[in-house]
Amino acid sequence: MVNETLSHPFLLQAGDLNVDDISLIFEKARFYLQKFEKDTKKLEDLKGVTVALAFFEPSTRTRLSFELAAKRLSADVFTFSSSTSSLTKGESLLDTLKTIEAMGVHMFVIRHSCSGVPNFLQQNTTGIVINAGDGKHEHPTQALLDAFTLHRYFGDIKGLNVCIVGDILHSRVARSNIVLLNTLGANLGLFSPGTLLPPKIESWNTRIFNDINDAIKWSNVVIVLRLQNERMESGLIPSVREFSKYFGVTYEIYSKKPELVLLHPGPVNYGIELEYTVSNYPNVLIQTQVTHGVYIRMALLSLLAKNLS
Amino acid sequence: MNIIFKSIRVVNPEQNLDGIFDLWIKDGFIHSIATSITNEEPETRVIPGKDLVALPGFFDMHVHLREPGFEYKEDIQSGCAAAANGGFTGVCCMPNTNPVIDNVSVVELIRKKAENLPVDVKISAAITQGSQGKQLSPFYELNEAGVVMFTDDGKCVTSSEVMKRAFNYASTKKLLIAQHCEDHSLTENFSVNEGVMSSSLGLKGYPSVAEDIIVKRDILLNEYTGNNPYHISHISTKNSVKFIREAKSRGLNVTCEVTPHHFCLNEEFLSSYDTNYKMNPPLRTKEDIQEILAGLKDGTIDCIASDHAPHALHEKEVEFEKAPYGIVGLETTIGLTFTYLYHTNILTLNDIINKLSTNPRKILNLEPIIIKEGNQANLTIVDIDEEWIVDKNQFKSKSKNTPFNGFKLKGKPKYIINKNQIIESTL
Repeated sequence: MVNETLSHPFLLQAGDLNVDDISLIFEKARFYLQKFEKDTKKLEDLKGVTVALAFFEPSTRTRLSFELAAKRLSADVFTFSSSTSSLTKGESLLDTLKTIEAMGVHMFVIRHSCSGVPNFLQQNTTGIVINAGDGKHEHPTQALLDAFTLHRYFGDIKGLNVCIVGDILHSRVARSNIVLLNTLGANLGLFSPGTLLPPKIESWNTRIFNDINDAIKWSNVVIVLRLQNERMESGLIPSVREFSKYFGVTYEIYSKKPELVLLHPGPVNYGIELEYTVSNYPNVLIQTQVTHGVYIRMALLSLLAKNLS
Repeated sequence: MNIIFKSIRVVNPEQNLDGIFDLWIKDGFIHSIATSITNEEPETRVIPGKDLVALPGFFDMHVHLREPGFEYKEDIQSGCAAAANGGFTGVCCMPNTNPVIDNVSVVELIRKKAENLPVDVKISAAITQGSQGKQLSPFYELNEAGVVMFTDDGKCVTSSEVMKRAFNYASTKKLLIAQHCEDHSLTENFSVNEGVMSSSLGLKGYPSVAEDIIVKRDILLNEYTGNNPYHISHISTKNSVKFIREAKSRGLNVTCEVTPHHFCLNEEFLSSYDTNYKMNPPLRTKEDIQEILAGLKDGTIDCIASDHAPHALHEKEVEFEKAPYGIVGLETTIGLTFTYLYHTNILTLNDIINKLSTNPRKILNLEPIIIKEGNQANLTIVDIDEEWIVDKNQFKSKSKNTPFNGFKLKGKPKYIINKNQIIESTL
């Protein structure tokens, strides 16, 4: 391959990636996918590279996905989670990072409940920072795996109508998807109760829907978001019942348009944003997303590692 | 002290003064001011006045000196050193210390500590005890001890009933009440302005309407309770400017201030999550700045004040959402004001003197400064055209939390003269 480096030596937000970067990542992910679906068990692309999974917020699937991705490429991986760290003893985040860095870590995969932490840490390290989800800001690898899933399904993303349904305000998945899918030329729609829609989003270049039927009719793809329980307690919606009645994707709605592709970043709240019976439809690609997540992260890690001299 | 500034431009709109003079200051007093002074005294220090302008001492009416309680951020001595270095001969300190300035003993402590410093320290006290928003502080006793203004700065008196009482109680002696206008129920845990940036950065926003609501409410309450002197701290929204303009046009006794960062910077600077751009009120939009500039020009906005808010490095180098609000400002205010308002032809030199000296002194009921023989010398001396680059390591403040490090500015403080002391700026 000719030029195999991304335009930035880190991934903090989806806006760090241009069309060429994304194609490069997809190409590499497809390469790994084909190899591992045949008979490859392990490659050595990241041999000698130390990857820290610094998870300051609980996570299962993203952490496992990164861990598997790094291990399949023979990186040395260790996981660091806030409950076992000296953060509980009052050490500052920056000190914690510098301590890990001093041990010779090359790449930091960061998950944190505060928006902007990966940006903050990248400014204070010579290592490579990958954002694995920061607060309500972004989750760029989730957007990459979603787009990869759509890319493999449709062949091309350009011109696809993609509607994101649910709690947009608190969703880092939504923000990353909006940026990334815009870069790839998809048309974006949002459907959300007014209290869960961020203010002043005219510049996001999205269409706002007021009714689930209109949204579904327009869409080739819906990305259904998880409704966090705390939204209910914060009073932003009157009740889960009302939310699922007007914003949930039910069997009745979905069965009218079975060709509709449905994504969900997981974990799903069945009966709230998505009716359980819908999940068995062939175009509901939730499991495919998870599978693709590992390959996308392998591709990203190996491409970014090329910046390590 | 025995100094002659030779051929220095002296300007003071308060006395319709603008001309080139020799200015002789001796023992803290203006010994003479004349077109030409010949001085035989050998120990006189002669400073060429070319490029310099002598102005009535600048006064910053919104400063956090942090003492008592937070001396690791700033103390009265270092805060006044920063003020002097930044060209101010007087400051008014805010009461959100620990303990809060809500009783005479804290006032006396501050007065004592500031006694021999070259900068006059005027004191504001809390509207409510402990700034808890409930029980009024002893206004009359505090006023007698020298307090010039009452404010719960950093917090807003949210209860309309308590605010009404504050206006009523202050009205007996026409005491000055100031408000940090923020409807806290709309701004809980905010990080930035609510709008384009809060949406894209995924941070909790402070909607501008939360400021507007309190500005409007207080104007109404003040009018209702008898039009007492009422000052609005650090306004940041276009509606605040409009509401205050309208109130002034109806003859209401309302004044306000703006900080340099609210006319120089907008929310777009936040894209890097640099906590030196995190302040309260937050940086707003270009539209808000436009109205603020109009308000500065037409006189709706009376003063420029720094809202000097020192914080230690370890407090600011954290997750954006956890960082404290505020930036230091005493040592950048003059440079920013001349760069963004004077050299852009938005304000004249007289306007700037009014907003940085005459008006804050008037609002706080302080003696006006008259530059004439026999009067105490209280002067700020600046070089209006000098270009310089902000270097936070030159600050005298204990804290360096500024977004302006590296900014190229035009207009620089050079000396202050006050209380028989001359301080040369090292910026």
